[in-house]
Amino acid sequence: MSKPSERVTESDYLKAYRIMLTSRIVEEKLASLYRAGMIKGGVFLGRGQEALSVSAGINLHRGDIFAPLIRDQAGRLAFGDTVLDTLRTYLGSQLGSMRGRDGNIHRGRPRDGYYAMISHLGAMIPAVAGGLLAKRLSGEQGFVGATCIGDGGTSTGAFHEGLNAAAVDNLPLVVVVANNQYAYSTPNSRQYACSDLLDKAAGYGIAGHKTDGTNLLDCLQTLRKAVASARSGAGPQLVVASLLRLVGHGEHDDFSYLDKTLKQSPVGSDCLLLAEQHIIDQGWDTKDELAKWKRDIEEEINTTADRVRREPPPDPEEDDWEALSRAEYREQHTSP
Amino acid sequence: MALVPIKMPQLGESIAEATIVRILFNAGDQIKADSDLFEVETNKAVMAVTAPCSGTLHEINAETGTSYPVGSVLGQIDITSDEAKRLGLDNPEKPSRKPQKTRQEGDSSPQKVEPTIPGGLPVPAHAGGVSYLSPRMKARMAELGLRAADLSSIAGSGAGGRVTIEDLERFMSGIENNRITPASPMRKAVADAMIRSWSRPLATVGIPIRLDNLLAHRKSHPAKPGPALYALRALAVALGENSAPAGRLIGESIVHPPSVDIGFAVEAEDGVLVPVIRNADKFSLDDLVSRYNRLVELARQRRLPPSDTGGSIATITNYGTFGLTLATPIPLPEQTLLLGMGAGKTMPNWDPKLEQFVPVLEATFTLSFDHRVLDGGAAGRLLKRIEELLNAPELL
Amino acid sequence: MITYLEAIRLAQQKALATDSRVFLYGQDIGVFGGAFKATKNLSKEFPGRVIDAPISEDAIVGMAIGAAIEGARPIVEMQFADFSTCALNQIVNHAGTLYYRTGVPCPIVVRLPSGGTSGGGPFHSQSMEAIYSHWPGLIVVTPATVEDAYSMLLEAVNIDDPVIFCEHKFLYYHLKAEALPETSLPIGKARIARQGRDATIVTHGAMLHESLAAAKELEEDGFELEVVDLRSVKPLDTDTVLASVARTGRLLCVSEEWPWGGVTSEVIARVSSEGFGLLDVAPMRVNAKDTPVPYHPDLWSVHRPTASTIAAAARRLLQT
Repeated sequence: MSKPSERVTESDYLKAYRIMLTSRIVEEKLASLYRAGMIKGGVFLGRGQEALSVSAGINLHRGDIFAPLIRDQAGRLAFGDTVLDTLRTYLGSQLGSMRGRDGNIHRGRPRDGYYAMISHLGAMIPAVAGGLLAKRLSGEQGFVGATCIGDGGTSTGAFHEGLNAAAVDNLPLVVVVANNQYAYSTPNSRQYACSDLLDKAAGYGIAGHKTDGTNLLDCLQTLRKAVASARSGAGPQLVVASLLRLVGHGEHDDFSYLDKTLKQSPVGSDCLLLAEQHIIDQGWDTKDELAKWKRDIEEEINTTADRVRREPPPDPEEDDWEALSRAEYREQHTSP
Repeated sequence: MALVPIKMPQLGESIAEATIVRILFNAGDQIKADSDLFEVETNKAVMAVTAPCSGTLHEINAETGTSYPVGSVLGQIDITSDEAKRLGLDNPEKPSRKPQKTRQEGDSSPQKVEPTIPGGLPVPAHAGGVSYLSPRMKARMAELGLRAADLSSIAGSGAGGRVTIEDLERFMSGIENNRITPASPMRKAVADAMIRSWSRPLATVGIPIRLDNLLAHRKSHPAKPGPALYALRALAVALGENSAPAGRLIGESIVHPPSVDIGFAVEAEDGVLVPVIRNADKFSLDDLVSRYNRLVELARQRRLPPSDTGGSIATITNYGTFGLTLATPIPLPEQTLLLGMGAGKTMPNWDPKLEQFVPVLEATFTLSFDHRVLDGGAAGRLLKRIEELLNAPELL
Repeated sequence: MITYLEAIRLAQQKALATDSRVFLYGQDIGVFGGAFKATKNLSKEFPGRVIDAPISEDAIVGMAIGAAIEGARPIVEMQFADFSTCALNQIVNHAGTLYYRTGVPCPIVVRLPSGGTSGGGPFHSQSMEAIYSHWPGLIVVTPATVEDAYSMLLEAVNIDDPVIFCEHKFLYYHLKAEALPETSLPIGKARIARQGRDATIVTHGAMLHESLAAAKELEEDGFELEVVDLRSVKPLDTDTVLASVARTGRLLCVSEEWPWGGVTSEVIARVSSEGFGLLDVAPMRVNAKDTPVPYHPDLWSVHRPTASTIAAAARRLLQT
């Protein structure tokens, strides 16, 4: 018998789908802005990974910690990030949360539990673990931390050290591994030798969960279970999802090295299309209604993008160019 | 019989000392190498100090409960000579280092050239006098308004003979006892110009020139042109014919003068002003007389307008007016040539026709020049041409 | 008498006692009290706040950063400064960039047992202050006295920015003081350890004591050397250094680090560009030899500057 809290309802599903749709559309907008030369820096999209990502973000609430990574636009929106700040950060608006000092997916609001990733893969795992440790030491209860990573990121020392240390202290950490078959151009066969990344869970002495990354229902159910386990004190949870990256590593990459048979196999399915079909099959909405959602979201995103493009960029004259928060410890003799 | 010390060992990183907890043997006991002799306590743990060799415990120099630094002698072991030999302890001296290879007589291998500045001294060697000025020295000199030339009298006491700050301060306080008057702006300007000019290799050549024809011409001239004007015109004509001697050497090029503008020195108060006759090669002596006289007046009154000074390519100086018969004046820093005129004197001159000395009025004319631009030969030829022209003043 | 090591222990004790946000994390620091006993008895006195970590320097610092974001003030101990390179990424790319990128300060303290001792060898002897000073966003301190080891560690905990605390292992038990200070100079201010007029030695860490010994040696020859203890290398108290060179006109920089890009380079660069007119002679420096730190004590003893090599360099500098 499944517990009521584990059952994914129609409204849960539709809410998640809507976020996935928004994520997909805003990323398409970013891709087209990139091709028009309007983006500052690189563009990295999560097409094909929305189901998994939204499932991670949507199961967290205020007071939790979330450190999303490169392909987590959907998870970010689920956790409280906005289309506005997404566009602001990519378009280099002065009003973006990172104020031009970092960009694209390297954004967050740490005070709200939304950690801003650094590029070194795996580094966010110990950071989230440390945040959880601090919460525990200060007497907080019922909190969880989650972070996402790809198949490639699991090879780093930071992944190993962070997960191991979290396990030693039995911290409520959920690590969501999106095994999208490629790390840039590196296929799984060159990334790891174990038969399944899920086997690592046993190695760290933690619980492992497998999920079909293309199936929104499966993702929602699995993440709900994993997050609940962590929240209840069962220690770190490793979730491994199989899916396929449906874009290049970045928008500058044409993914020409993709193994076409993967694209044609089930792992290559588009989770958004499958979710759409599921909604229609369940009779929750019609194709036309979903199409209307799409148009409404597109319009809103276009309006927001136009507005953001009119916003000013950061002003180098006004930036204080300081890396230390305390003025009395800043060097006086090194600035020109 | 030899005594081997038992020393407090280094019992871990950063351990500086340890406390004796227990002494495990008494003086006089027979002990074996590597057996525990003391128990000591460090900040981290209790450990043992072991015997370095076998023998008799000769004496104990440590007490329980006391802390001894690493390396202290805690006791002595008396060992047999056989044991000493076995352990290589019988020859405490380190093997001597190989003696330096000395240069043999008649060694044909080339001797290595030693660098003149050993190990990078903080001050260059051979820094004699004010030829080396450290940044601090320059800053102090700038504060005091001094130039290197002002300090030429100081023999430096520093490394390589350099002038030190102490030398400078001593020098300055030594001067204070003398009478001191301020140098006028004119004086400072001349000092600056002379130092700049002197930075070039300068030379002077001279010849005596007979003044008879010039003086006769002047006597019959209604305006009585000054002798310096005759010299100016002669120089202008000569340079108009060949301007190369008045060129300047800049880098690898001779920069030729654009026009024959000649200056002439006029004494004014405690300095010298140099009015200029522009295009002096294009006007005759007669044309220039009134302009020349007016410029002399203006200069004497120090009312010379800027347009009438500066930009000349050579200068005339009549040091004969001071009574000097010979001088080696210094060309202006921006010029290559300075034509000087000495005082006229009646001198005996050999007349080959009359086969006797006859009195003639002559003055020594000198040409001082930047030796980078011309040599004695060219200087001599220029002077000779001037002599020709001065002996035929109607050509001027 | 209080040793330098005990001062560090007492500072951590005080921090734990007075600020509930503080906790300690590192290898062997719990019941064992730390490889050097810098945390002896603290886990008993503050249960649950002195936490043993696995051998995972990256995770140790990474966790400190996350904890700091959530409001804690962690002090982490790297067992040896030399091992901190395993945590380099978290220190320089995460802690050092957090405030600049997100506006959220990162109040962590990373303690590095630094510097050479006899027999330490290449991986237990290094001085890391230069590399951490190079990246923006970090404060790097190098206490050379018992008093500074105490007061600067307490100040470090209260600073909102990441502090790399380079404590010198050789001084742990060799240096002792009568009492702990009530007040002290703040981080960022250098101290004139010895006044003089003939030349200035600028140094930090254990080399302070070698420099003072060298100064004593030169005193017998009638030279008075001024010795400046930088105390913190970033921020570096350039004003005090320049004022000293203005008095003496001669600069000798001494450090146990390797020469390329070390603290001595930075000091000489600043004095040359901002105090060129103060220099009577070219500045000099004495560093360790440009090789890994050797193991054998006979090799180690000449690898780094000593009182006599510093005195010899000072003599060359003093030749007017």
